[in-house]
Order: sequence, then structure tokens, then C-alpha cells
Amino acid sequence: MKIPLQVYEFAGGLRAMAHFLIRAENPHLFGSIQAIVDTGSPTTILGIPDIKRMRVSPLQLKELESRKQPHAYGGGQLKTKILQEAKLKFGEYFECIMPIEIPVDEITECTQPTIIGVDFLIKNKLKLFFDPAKREAYLEGLE
Amino acid sequence: MQTQELQLMKRFETDSKWFHENINKLREQNFTGKFVAIANEKPVASNEKIDAVIKTLENEGKNPACIFIEFVYPEGFTLLL
Repeated sequence: MKIPLQVYEFAGGLRAMAHFLIRAENPHLFGSIQAIVDTGSPTTILGIPDIKRMRVSPLQLKELESRKQPHAYGGGQLKTKILQEAKLKFGEYFECIMPIEIPVDEITECTQPTIIGVDFLIKNKLKLFFDPAKREAYLEGLE
Repeated sequence: MQTQELQLMKRFETDSKWFHENINKLREQNFTGKFVAIANEKPVASNEKIDAVIKTLENEGKNPACIFIEFVYPEGFTLLL
């Protein structure tokens, strides 16, 4: 099984990017997402612009479990909540339900995109193929 | 995946592709430092604040959650993740 990724020049470098639909019931959340696949990030975390696009309010996140330690983020710290059952759909290729983190701090002017982290690869037993020179990238099932 | 969702994703991916392929054109058109909403392969709203872009889209009856919105970084700017 392969999930094709796009390789685009973005914010100073070539990035492997995935597009998917996200859906959750509690809190209700639905939208289309462009995410950078980042093997330097241990966790999958929604970008603040995407949270705003989906109109997720801090009140909606109140009941969610908080992450114990804040993330180091853009030179500062970022507190997050954990959305346990987020359904991610990658076109016709793949879908999964997994926990993802949602920033709860309001950071002014934050442009940080959504990141697919190593937790996504582990949970779904996927490996990343990334050949920036040929602008080719995909996720492949290990089983 | 339902047909409607597939269509939504396809449109989103097409607009994403258009954004990345036309980033220099967008910079030339003074979109640098702004969030830009792309629909049907053209910019439909922009502002330094994403909240303003979202409001514009909502006022036009569009659902921002399903529309491609991205920040236009200045040329040479590197975002470290």
C-alpha cells in the first residue's frame, strides 16, 4: 500500500507534503488539511491556521486531555490538548483513527503548518520514501 | 470514501498544487506576508490575518475548512520545523 505525497518548495526548502481530510466527533471537527511530513517531529500536531479554518474554539477543547509537557515551538513553548480519535482520510489510499495534538495557546501571527510526525508512521506501520532530487515521495505500508 | 469527499479533496489538492507552482507569481502580486485563499486555481481572499481571510470566505458563503489557505512566506525565508 502506498500513499502518494507531493514534493513542493515551501518556506525555504523542499518538503514532502500530504493532503487529507480530518474528522472528529467530540469536539466536532471537519476539514481538508495540507501537512508537512516531518520525521524530526515525534508528534502529529495541527497547525493553528488549520484549527482556525475549522473554527475550533478553545471552549470546544476544554474537555480534552492536556499534554503533560508543553512543546518547544518557534523559540517558545506551546501547550496542546490531545484529540484521541481523529479520523484521517488520505483520498482513496488510506484512513486511520489516531490521537493528534491541538495547540491551545493563542499565538499571534502563527503561520506554522500542520505536521505529520513519527507517531503517525509508527501507529500505521508506514515508512517514508523521500527523494527530493527527483521530487518523489510516498508513504508505504510495512506489512 | 464518498464521492463528495473525494471531489473536495481533489479540489483542495489542485488548489494546493496551483499555490505552490505559482508562489513567485503571488509574491509579484504583493501577497508576500499574507494568508491567501485559493479556490478554483485563483486567489479569492487575502490578508495578513487569517481571521480576516476566514471572515471574507464566510461572508461569501464559502466554508473555510474546505478551502486551501496558505501563508506566502518571503523569498529566501526558511521555516525550521
